[in-house]
Amino acid sequence: MRKPQAAIAAADRSPAADSSAILVEREIKDHLGLIAEMTRVFAASHDARSVAASALERITVHVGAEAASLFLIDDDRETLACSACYGPVDITGMRIAINAGIVGRAVQRQEGQMVRDVRADADFGSGVDAKTGFTTRSILVAPLSVGREALGAIEIINKVGGDGLFAAEDLVLLETLARAAALAIHNFRLTDRLVQQERERHELDLASEIQRDLLPKPAARDFPVHGLNIPARAVSGDFFDILVLPDGRIWFNVGDVSGKGMNAALMMAKTSSLFRCLAKSAEHPGQLLGAINNELCETNSHGMFVTMVGGLFDPATGRVRLSNAGHEPPLLFHGAAQRFTAIPADAPPLGIATGIAGPDGFPTIDLDLGGGSLYVFTDGLTEATTFGGGMLGIDGARALIRSHAEESPELRLKNIAGAVKLPGQSLRDDLTLLVVEDNAPLHVVPSPSPVDNTTSDGEIMRLRVPACADRLRLIRTAVEQAARFCNADHGWAADLVMAVDEACQNIIRHAYGSRGESGDIVLDFIRRGETLEVQLMDFAAPVDPASIKPRELGDVRPGGLGVHLIRSVCDDARFVPPPPGVGNLFKLTKRLGTKV
Amino acid sequence: MALDKRVVDGNAVIALSGDVDLQSSPGVRQQLLACFDTHNRVIVDLAGVTYIDSSGVASLVEAFQLARKKNGSFALVNVSAAVMRVLSLARLDRVFSIHPTVEAAVAAQG
Repeated sequence: MRKPQAAIAAADRSPAADSSAILVEREIKDHLGLIAEMTRVFAASHDARSVAASALERITVHVGAEAASLFLIDDDRETLACSACYGPVDITGMRIAINAGIVGRAVQRQEGQMVRDVRADADFGSGVDAKTGFTTRSILVAPLSVGREALGAIEIINKVGGDGLFAAEDLVLLETLARAAALAIHNFRLTDRLVQQERERHELDLASEIQRDLLPKPAARDFPVHGLNIPARAVSGDFFDILVLPDGRIWFNVGDVSGKGMNAALMMAKTSSLFRCLAKSAEHPGQLLGAINNELCETNSHGMFVTMVGGLFDPATGRVRLSNAGHEPPLLFHGAAQRFTAIPADAPPLGIATGIAGPDGFPTIDLDLGGGSLYVFTDGLTEATTFGGGMLGIDGARALIRSHAEESPELRLKNIAGAVKLPGQSLRDDLTLLVVEDNAPLHVVPSPSPVDNTTSDGEIMRLRVPACADRLRLIRTAVEQAARFCNADHGWAADLVMAVDEACQNIIRHAYGSRGESGDIVLDFIRRGETLEVQLMDFAAPVDPASIKPRELGDVRPGGLGVHLIRSVCDDARFVPPPPGVGNLFKLTKRLGTKV
Repeated sequence: MALDKRVVDGNAVIALSGDVDLQSSPGVRQQLLACFDTHNRVIVDLAGVTYIDSSGVASLVEAFQLARKKNGSFALVNVSAAVMRVLSLARLDRVFSIHPTVEAAVAAQG
């Protein structure tokens, strides 16, 4: 590749040769050879730094000078930095002001500079020489530019061959090489940028994929909660999640991070992870949103916040407990009545301030879906552009929900989103929809099994009371009266009172109490021949009967006595499979006239 | 539920009356255990108790255990048939020290 012999020959010119036409021709050929070679090297290489260094060496030797350096304009557009050099001192990395010295002048004026004696040039800055110990006598500078964009300059210092003075042809040669070098530098930068863009695109694709994986997989058709998320860009600041607890209750949420793009997507990932993690130990949505808020406030920066609706749905009762932190009000729709109810936010968005939640977290609302559907969505729906060009708005959203009400939940969400996502166009904002379906329209308390009304058999009474300790005395009185109604004696009645009281205590303390829930107990007193049956229903999560064991009697300790007492005084006591809508059904049977 | 406290011959005597159930037993438990802060010997007079459930019995068991731990004594007096029914179903009638009256309980300490 290199032609050192030719280069040295060109540099080593004797006065006698100057007048020779053959030699001039040879010199031109040498110049052309160098230009051709440099251009080829610039075009073929991918390593800008090493090409620059070797090019400077070739040019210095060819022109017959002591040193050369390449200065490029920094990103700040205010300084020139030496990115490569050749000669006795290494000044790579040195920075000078963009208008300093003769190099600066070449860059400012965008024209070559030939200074045969630097001492006579007012612009010459001797600072570099002072630092390096080098003595600059003469300078040749050619600016580097592509189109109108100035990139920097190449300078050559101290001509040594011939009369020791740079010639006009040296400048022409340097300017020609500078043009090729500028083009090469420009190409290097373009390539770099393309590689960088490709890398970023690849990273964005990965982020998008990971984010999609954070969303729940499509649910089975008859599952009561469905969601849909369509990002406006590769990544989304919206999210939803659905989490089924072992007892069948379902956590769900829809969130919207302020802003769009990668920072919103990262915040989304953080918030949805917090939701998933904290939901497993939270008792209700207000507590959960309060905990997420505290976490976000502890670490949040850049003033980002998240609006969120979090809810806990119990398919067995059709009830939802909901907390709304600054989010678009969810809509409860009853198809039969064509009625909408909006559930407004009564807490600020998450991540703004701590200490806004009460001791029990954010405010919650208890909703009986009553066979209806609860729609939770982001403003990507209400603020979406419709075919007509206007914004959909809340009325538009209601109309869409109404017109697709008869479809399956999955298709419904797809069609509602499809109505605002114009074909071939991307959305203005991320769009997220979620629906909670109350599939069992009537959560009525079922009647006890049919009894023969022709005899004295039948239901004596039904009692529905809140599961609270302060109602136990009431229940005991009712049990005693029921026993008396069956002509039972006092001791018999006292035993039954105790058994029912203990059974109610278990419902209060364990069925509801273990989750901090509240609810009712329904007691049915049924006479069947010579037995009295008491059925106790609750609406809490199912209790595992295997976990309810009587206490070992030799074991003197507080607690665990209740089940033993019940079994001691009843002929039969057991959990039976509850009808739909009932959490647990416990049945006590005691033969009349027996005292166990 | 009502609770009355007096001291007889160095014994803290707690008289309970009414229903000792899930609603009232947390208070009963706290009062019973607190007696041992000042007294080593505690007598519980159950004359006025109309009903006691497993949580009430559990409070008595806890007090009984605390007495043993402190090398003190714990006795029940004036146990009605209804209360005795529950204690015997729980097989605790043989665990607790049970006396007809406060005086009998004090005398039994020797």
